[in-house]
Amino acid sequence: MRVLPYPTPAGKVTFRVTAVKQDQRSLHTSVFSGEERVVALHQVERDDWKSSRIALTATLPMKEIEEGPWSDVAVVAVLTEKATNTRTTAVLRRQGEGGAEWAGRIRLRRADHRSQAELSVTVVATVDGVAGRVIGTSEEKWTVDLTARTPVRRSELQVDEVDFADGPHEWLRAFKDAPWLVETSGDLPTVHVNTGFEGISELLNSGGGPLERGIRDMLAAQIATDVWTAVFHSAVSDLELDADGNPEWPGGWRDAVLNGMLSDVLPGMSGIDALNEIHARRGESSGWNELQPRINYAAARRAKVARNLGTALRVLDMSQRENKA
Amino acid sequence: MIDRPDPLPDRIASLADLNAVKYIGSGVRSGREEPPYIELGRSVTATAEDDVRMRVEPVRDLVDDVMHLYRDDTRTRADAWLAPRLHAALRLTRREAADEGIWNHLAAAVAPDYVLWRHLPATGSDGGPPMVPSGRFHGAHHTQAFSRLWWAAELFRNGPDYAPVVVACGIQDVLNTVLRLDIIDHRPTAQAVVALVEQGVARTGREVNALAVVANAAASTLFYDVLAEDEERDDGALDEWVAGAASAPPVPRRSLPRGPEDGTVPEKAVAALVERFGELFQDAVVRGRTASQD
Repeated sequence: MRVLPYPTPAGKVTFRVTAVKQDQRSLHTSVFSGEERVVALHQVERDDWKSSRIALTATLPMKEIEEGPWSDVAVVAVLTEKATNTRTTAVLRRQGEGGAEWAGRIRLRRADHRSQAELSVTVVATVDGVAGRVIGTSEEKWTVDLTARTPVRRSELQVDEVDFADGPHEWLRAFKDAPWLVETSGDLPTVHVNTGFEGISELLNSGGGPLERGIRDMLAAQIATDVWTAVFHSAVSDLELDADGNPEWPGGWRDAVLNGMLSDVLPGMSGIDALNEIHARRGESSGWNELQPRINYAAARRAKVARNLGTALRVLDMSQRENKA
Repeated sequence: MIDRPDPLPDRIASLADLNAVKYIGSGVRSGREEPPYIELGRSVTATAEDDVRMRVEPVRDLVDDVMHLYRDDTRTRADAWLAPRLHAALRLTRREAADEGIWNHLAAAVAPDYVLWRHLPATGSDGGPPMVPSGRFHGAHHTQAFSRLWWAAELFRNGPDYAPVVVACGIQDVLNTVLRLDIIDHRPTAQAVVALVEQGVARTGREVNALAVVANAAASTLFYDVLAEDEERDDGALDEWVAGAASAPPVPRRSLPRGPEDGTVPEKAVAALVERFGELFQDAVVRGRTASQD
């Protein structure tokens, strides 16, 4: 929680989605999940919808707010997507006399969004005579996913199984010999697994015996190491600078990647120090090579290489013993 | 120096970043070599065949015209001419414009000569030849040679009126710095910045930069959407505009084109922010501004 130069309530702001409509039709409640905090708009499998309306209810620490120095309290739902530079807001209304709940609906125009929008609630009030002060924000945000069929929080990674040589992506043809390829330019990093590479799909999707599972997990760990290395480099190279030339947290998956990996790459440094350091080293091209083993280590750690390799080696050992016996 | 591609592709396609990186090497970026058009053409993903908006010719004509019109001028001035016209010629939704692949394709296969014409620096760094930064070919929305103009037009237009876009693009710092700030996604904020430039409150690039920095910093505690409420945009108008692409004449060269009639920004909201930003700017430190210049 950041420190603001004026009093803010200590209580929490929370909200939940209560209903979703698409082009005037109510969607089943299974399109959203309070547990995952996700609304999945693609479940209806229609590509021609124009807009959706998301109904939400926010809960505020109203007792505290009413006793405090805040007036003209307004509660606003905010829907944003970085990829489309779109920001929509909707004012929520207080439910009943003296209640703690505020409800309303926010509109999402399909033409304005591409993959994942972020939904949050902000509380605004007049403080010390200044109107429009932010006095609270929901800590937990919801994701509105335009491409997902089920309301599950997607991991930081998308997997796309596709034939590089004959598949729909012509640009992958140049890589037809590669078993997999990591792409970090989109909204989410994507691993394209080449189904044209014989046996790889079967192996990755196999249940099989312990030996097969061991090899599968090792392969998965190998791919994951590639992914983590690629996303780390991508996140570092895309850093934007503020007016003073300091790097800014990039937002989206890049944020999660840097947050998670910097502590392994530059141990013992606080988040923002590590961010400054990594940016400086990259820019000055000194000290960058020394970081490579640490980046590799951080990626391998997140990919759980040690555990998967250890398990696979044990299984191999066991099977050899059984063969001898 | 690279010339107009020959043959020119008929349709705008999508070129993945990975391939854009592959085909745009230092030879292309310094203007010594042409991109490998044939190979490049094989690795793109085609766009819908019946979509008239994806025809290359109207965009290519605009590019030829802008290079002719500003041949003897400072090239940064060409942005204000091209941005609204590119926006009006393409008629994209934001959803479509967020596909970086089409911008990559425009830069690499349709108009690499324009990217060089507009973005080749006078001198190279480290004693090397002058080279266009690769981000101008494939990069963030506020960096890439074409997407920066499209997004500037989209975020600064006031409904169908592109006049604010011309003002915004007339100052390079707006494109370089202001465009990437999240506050600009709020329409009244974008219009207030333009209004302050027009009123002469923030005149130079440095001043506009400083204005944007204080407005952005203040946005962490001030909520502009409540101080200056925007109106819902008209969905149908955008659809109509997109659908009208098939029968629309070429965009006008001398007068400004008209954008989608999806509603203008409430004047009250802009006025409220002009006042607020004006106050913030009074206290702002403008780098390089001295007492005598005030």
